[in-house]
Amino acid sequence: MDKKEKVVVRICVGTACFVQGGADLLLYNDFLDPNVLAGCEIEGASCLQSCKKTCDATKAEDKPPFISINGKVYGGVTQERFCKLLAEAVNA
Amino acid sequence: MNDIFIDVDYDQIYKHDQEIGGDVFLLSKNPDSNQIVATLSDGLGSGVKANVLASLTAHMAHKLSFSDMDLTHSARIIMNTLPVCKERKISYATFTIVDIRYPSMKDISVSLVEYDNPPVLRFSGSQEISWNRDLIDLKRPGAFKQEILKRSEFSMKNGDRLVMFSDGVTQSGMGSTMPLGWRLDGVRQFAKACIERDPDISSHELSRAIVQHAYSLDGLCSKDDITCSVVYVRSPRRTLVVTGPPFTKDNDAALGEKIRSFNGRKIVAGGTTALIVSRLFGSPIHVDMVHWSKDVPPFSSMDGIDLVTEGMLTLSKVVKVLEEKTPEAMLPDDAVRRFVHILLDSDQVHFIVGTKINEAHQDPNIPAEIGIRRTMIARLRKVLEEHYLKETSLEYM
Repeated sequence: MDKKEKVVVRICVGTACFVQGGADLLLYNDFLDPNVLAGCEIEGASCLQSCKKTCDATKAEDKPPFISINGKVYGGVTQERFCKLLAEAVNA
Repeated sequence: MNDIFIDVDYDQIYKHDQEIGGDVFLLSKNPDSNQIVATLSDGLGSGVKANVLASLTAHMAHKLSFSDMDLTHSARIIMNTLPVCKERKISYATFTIVDIRYPSMKDISVSLVEYDNPPVLRFSGSQEISWNRDLIDLKRPGAFKQEILKRSEFSMKNGDRLVMFSDGVTQSGMGSTMPLGWRLDGVRQFAKACIERDPDISSHELSRAIVQHAYSLDGLCSKDDITCSVVYVRSPRRTLVVTGPPFTKDNDAALGEKIRSFNGRKIVAGGTTALIVSRLFGSPIHVDMVHWSKDVPPFSSMDGIDLVTEGMLTLSKVVKVLEEKTPEAMLPDDAVRRFVHILLDSDQVHFIVGTKINEAHQDPNIPAEIGIRRTMIARLRKVLEEHYLKETSLEYM
């Protein structure tokens, strides 16, 4: 079996993201499915520079906290959404 | 900023079971008149009564040193003012006053007054220096014993140290591990050995080492208040704190150059700022995912920078820890502790504050503690200067 490339996930730990739910995502070891976790390489990012572009946003998905999965940025990430997004990416 | 720094710090353990000490150490710096005064006083007895005596003595000695009054006269005033102990019918507190004046950093003169504390030790590097003291008999009417002040004046240069302590240090271990206690000779040899082992040992570390050793000689149950203070003249340890992106992008390169050419430790506080520095230095940021808490985001590492942290949350927590004087050992190992450690381990802190406003922090959902960067830095400078006697400077970009 070919070894599958790991999904690169970056969690923003900048101020705006951290206080608006980003801190909850850093607990991924506690709530993420271990099988999904095994397929991901999770790291922190000092700032994904997304908070500034979207400060007038009204939709939750355009607001902090942001993460990036293989380079694509997602906003409004709760723990549930985090699990869902990562599961999709790993199983894709 | 100066090329010479006068590092003064002390450490103290109260007598076992006492909530308050009879040893009082006071330190103030008057940058306008280039003067530092450090006073150590030991009051008769222990606990509240001793603390009242020692506090009174130390504060009077301190205030009078900043005035033009003759020291002998000051000492008389102090002794006449002290309240009389009900049991022993005497009023008594010892003191050591170190009055340091430095019109320029090449010319540091010390005026030392000692009354009944163990003698002050003086080192140049690890070499002990002995010097002559003038003896002044106060001949105060109503005195219950002969009162002799020891007075001396000398100059200090780079690498010199003064070590002063209360009798809790010299008498530690008395009766248990050693018949007569640690004694002056023991302390002298210990201090010398400490300096030989680590020639750059800071005042903080040396005073702590001496106090801890005395405490262990007492079998970790101190028989008296144990206090030690060290004055150390040395080259300053410098730290640069960079926080916030420059107002315009054109200034990014200049910021990089300032960081690169700075001689000392470097801290970058702020996600965007870290990205800018990372781009300029061409070194990637690695976020540590282990050491963080709900209030303190993780720190990162980057080549060429000693500490990379998040911005406002970390800074406000650092300010809070410093203002509340929380001991470093009580803090969890996170960005704040590392930040505080570097600040307290420095003599001069230079801040470069970027003035670009972060739009993402204007959201009303964001906690109010994420105040304005400049206000936070102003508070940080104030606490560093007033509580920790650090020199600070600031530039905006």
